[in-house]
Amino acid sequence: MVDIGYFSLCLALVAAAYSIVASVAGARRKHLALIRSGENSSLAVCGLLTVSVLALWHALLGHDFQVQYVAENSNRAMPLLYVVAALWGGQNGSLLFWGWLLSIYLAALVLVNRGRYRVLMPYAVATLAATSFFFILLNLFAADPFKRLPLTPEDGRGLNPLLQHPIMAIHPPMLYLGMVGMSVPFALAIAALISRQLDNTWVRAARRWMLVSWTFLGAGLLLGGKWAYVELGWGGYWGWDPVENSSLMPWLVSTAFLHSILVQERKGMLKVWNMVLVILVYSLCIFGTFLTRSGMVSSVHAFARSNIGPFFATFLCILLVFSLCLLYTRLKDLRAENRLESFASRETAFLLNNWVLLGMCFAVFWGTLFPLISEAITSEQITVGPPFFNQVNVPIGLILLFLTGAGPLFAWRHTSTRNLRTNFSIPAASTLFAAVLLWWLGVRDFYALGSLALCTFVVSSLGLEFHRGARARSNSTGETYVLALYRLTVKSRRRYGGYMVHLAIVMLFVGFTGKAFTTEKEFVLELGESTQVEDYTLTYEHLVHSEDANKMVHTASLALFGGGEFLSTLLPERHFYKNVDQGTTEVSIHSSLREDFYLIMVGWSEDGSAKFQVYINPLVNWVWAGGIVFVLGALWSAWPTARERRLAAMDRVSVQSLSP
Amino acid sequence: MKRFKFIIGSTVIALGLAYLFASGLSQSTSTHMTLRDLAKQVVATDLEGKRIQLGGCKVVPGSIRWDEYRHRPAFTVADSTYSLEIRYVGNAVLPDTFKDEAQVVLEGYYDLGTNCFEAQIVFAKCPSKYEGQSYEGHVQAMNADI
Repeated sequence: MVDIGYFSLCLALVAAAYSIVASVAGARRKHLALIRSGENSSLAVCGLLTVSVLALWHALLGHDFQVQYVAENSNRAMPLLYVVAALWGGQNGSLLFWGWLLSIYLAALVLVNRGRYRVLMPYAVATLAATSFFFILLNLFAADPFKRLPLTPEDGRGLNPLLQHPIMAIHPPMLYLGMVGMSVPFALAIAALISRQLDNTWVRAARRWMLVSWTFLGAGLLLGGKWAYVELGWGGYWGWDPVENSSLMPWLVSTAFLHSILVQERKGMLKVWNMVLVILVYSLCIFGTFLTRSGMVSSVHAFARSNIGPFFATFLCILLVFSLCLLYTRLKDLRAENRLESFASRETAFLLNNWVLLGMCFAVFWGTLFPLISEAITSEQITVGPPFFNQVNVPIGLILLFLTGAGPLFAWRHTSTRNLRTNFSIPAASTLFAAVLLWWLGVRDFYALGSLALCTFVVSSLGLEFHRGARARSNSTGETYVLALYRLTVKSRRRYGGYMVHLAIVMLFVGFTGKAFTTEKEFVLELGESTQVEDYTLTYEHLVHSEDANKMVHTASLALFGGGEFLSTLLPERHFYKNVDQGTTEVSIHSSLREDFYLIMVGWSEDGSAKFQVYINPLVNWVWAGGIVFVLGALWSAWPTARERRLAAMDRVSVQSLSP
Repeated sequence: MKRFKFIIGSTVIALGLAYLFASGLSQSTSTHMTLRDLAKQVVATDLEGKRIQLGGCKVVPGSIRWDEYRHRPAFTVADSTYSLEIRYVGNAVLPDTFKDEAQVVLEGYYDLGTNCFEAQIVFAKCPSKYEGQSYEGHVQAMNADI
């Protein structure tokens, strides 16, 4: 099986190469059969890589420890789920996985657009096939997942116990699905540039791919945060680590892209800008992979420093030079059809939103690379910590939050002062009310107060949008208000799905704001002793030691009371894994919409007394709930409307009647 | 007129960003050093109040002395030539990967009085054991006050 995997990897390389050549040649000579052949061979790439992936899975599940990758990333004691997940647990496997996902995207693009976007498709296929080619090459020559060891070890090394968590099995694939998917819009943009079909066609073709990838990436980021929160035991979910930052950056820029293409589709403006954004998004994905795998910036993520750094650097350079030069030669054809007519317009709001998002991305980029920048300038390597990122991004984030609410209140082209006053009156009043109320409730932190007040602003502005739309529809069609509201959101999925995502962003901000009110306390308790933490009472009841083949488990049992009532039994644990000589801290959380009571057992003494650490994290559940709303809203928005489905069907028919 | 407004607007935004960057940087920077750099600087420069990130060293086996509840240890780190006493003074529970021979990155201040390093943050990873596989392995202890 292993040999089959390797062999089919080789074949995939050939198929990808053929796909590039056939697609480009076919497009140049307008040779339809050749174009089809290029597309078909890209389907073959997908099939062949699937065989490779299955072969590696086969080796993992069969515990074939002669394969180096299997020996290094799995062992017999690991539960099945993690053996399956070991496919992307190590570097070589994750690169194969990356290439495989890319080929799936490529195949999907080909299949979905069999009869559409005929000018763009050959070049898009060629671009994606070229990217696949790079990854397959990497797998064959620098990161071979099928490499055999000279002798077969008894057992494999296994997976770091910290990573043996269900979230860790889905978080990396989510991130990959996001990052890899972003190569599709990039490929379509490149295709538009090469073929000079520079109208809005490529944007229409690319939007949904970007939206879906963006959703995956966003969900991946949040899952990573959730894992850090429940598994790492430091009470937080985001540490501004280079690895986290490197996946946040493409997400921020793709958010900007999803907004600015609206302006291009509507007004024919920002054409060059959108090209730059999509190139930037994809470059940041590759850059992030490079950054985290090259050991260039020291990260707490224990990626191995490896030899693939230079490969990625070269790929990134080629990518940037090629696409930017290409863009430069097409500048003439990308002139805006309209100009900004007024500052008080939706366009301006979108433009500001783009600047803010890019500003955020730049701040993250700057902070992540500051050690390198400072070393180049002063020969002293200066690192920046989370306070830098917070200090810079909190105010920028609040501006963004304001724009989230304000944007929909502006009309396209120009909004008269009178309209502005009418549109803003209710949201502004509710914001003011919220601010006063919060002050009265004792919220004094400037940013927290601002954030929560702005959240009210966005919610009221969104509510107004939904209400006005539903009322207008109900008046004109005679439908009931609720039915009108539903039909409205189904008919303009893109718009109202977008608003749902905005609502999710508000929930996320509410959650982030909770961070300002986190309290932390550490204390030692004797068995049977109680202590008071804010409004909670905690009683330390038992300490239990147990042991299985894999690990020793020490569990403390504590009863948590709030307002005189029993809330729950908390069971913080320390695990010690025998075969890897490492411990993990298992936190215990009592969770409510208001706040989390987050308990860690630090350690214990011979006499049974133990030291605990408590974090009270207000509003943190809003982050996870916001994540769910985010995904739902994004899917709502990505789902094709009835009209789009009809148009797509018409496209297919018209193309079929044209082809010979 | 429009152009003028545009320029004013961009300048205000740029200045605002610059201010945010500068104030952010002044708060949270630390200078990355190896034990060798530190040894040199102890003699040459004033390290009082300078936040240092110490890297490129490992925990000396057997040197970890925990307090009663396994919370704040004192330990020794060393590279091929130098070694240094560390006192952990942070609040967070140390990362689970912190143990003998772990590669550590420390952030904190050098105490000239006792010639020992007071670490507020300890990052630890075990490259030998988990080479290439600790995908996304955050192993960090964050200080509660940052």
